[in-house]
Amino acid sequence: MNDLRLGAARKRLAESRDQEDAVEGLREIVGNFLGSEEIGLFRVDRRTATFHLFWSFGIDPEKYDLLRSLGDAGLRRVMRGECHIEHAAHERSGVMARVQAFVPLRCANQTIAVLAILRLLPQKVAFDRHDLELFKLLSDEAAKPLFGASTHSKLATEKPGIRA
Amino acid sequence: MSKKILVVDDSRTALMMEREILEKSTKYQCVTASDGQEAVEKAQQERPDLILMDVVMPRMNGFEACKMMRQQPGTREIPIVLVTTRGEEAYMEAGFQSGCNDYITKPVDGAELVALLQSYLGE
Repeated sequence: MNDLRLGAARKRLAESRDQEDAVEGLREIVGNFLGSEEIGLFRVDRRTATFHLFWSFGIDPEKYDLLRSLGDAGLRRVMRGECHIEHAAHERSGVMARVQAFVPLRCANQTIAVLAILRLLPQKVAFDRHDLELFKLLSDEAAKPLFGASTHSKLATEKPGIRA
Repeated sequence: MSKKILVVDDSRTALMMEREILEKSTKYQCVTASDGQEAVEKAQQERPDLILMDVVMPRMNGFEACKMMRQQPGTREIPIVLVTTRGEEAYMEAGFQSGCNDYITKPVDGAELVALLQSYLGE
């Protein structure tokens, strides 16, 4: 069944008509398959070494600070191309604390954007191994439909080693 | 003759996934609609054996579509399973009051979905 999910996500991204449709596809994939309706998509500005909110859903972008959520270690991981996942923990009240995932979206071997998944739906307790496979797919295949071939060609000529 | 399921969702990703599950894991025939209004029309035309329907959709949501189908003689008896991201009790109660037979939450587990459909339609 997980193969079907990965196949559907891959097909949806590949069939995106334009950037707006690709963003909608990403929202659908995260909502339907990963169980979250609180999402932020941040672009990495390699020139100024900063992140800029590109799009969000279900969060207050004014109050959200990606770098604080990620922390230094998390930031280094996503810039290296690894997912950074904060696992579930019970709060004192017994309510599950926030489960967050930060997925680097890669193009030409560089992280060009970060998908932040900020809270799971109440019926979903944690990410599982199938979700990790979907993160990998998004990391490898979402950047192109979202940000286009121009990013790829631009990055191919950029010098490596700059980090946000 | 294979049983027919009307799958309704405004998300192309969800439609794609649910259709794949049905085609790969069952012998049911699948027809689709992308909002509640289209679902009401398709249900009248196609007379499916079961309707699997999202709740939050444009034009007409799943609750409204469910109520409307329950008022029409041709669709009154068709089992309706609502699928949604909202798992709160009050929301589920609203679903049952609209006339649905079952209610499942996203993310949908494929094996559970197939088992649920088979409980209504057989294999």
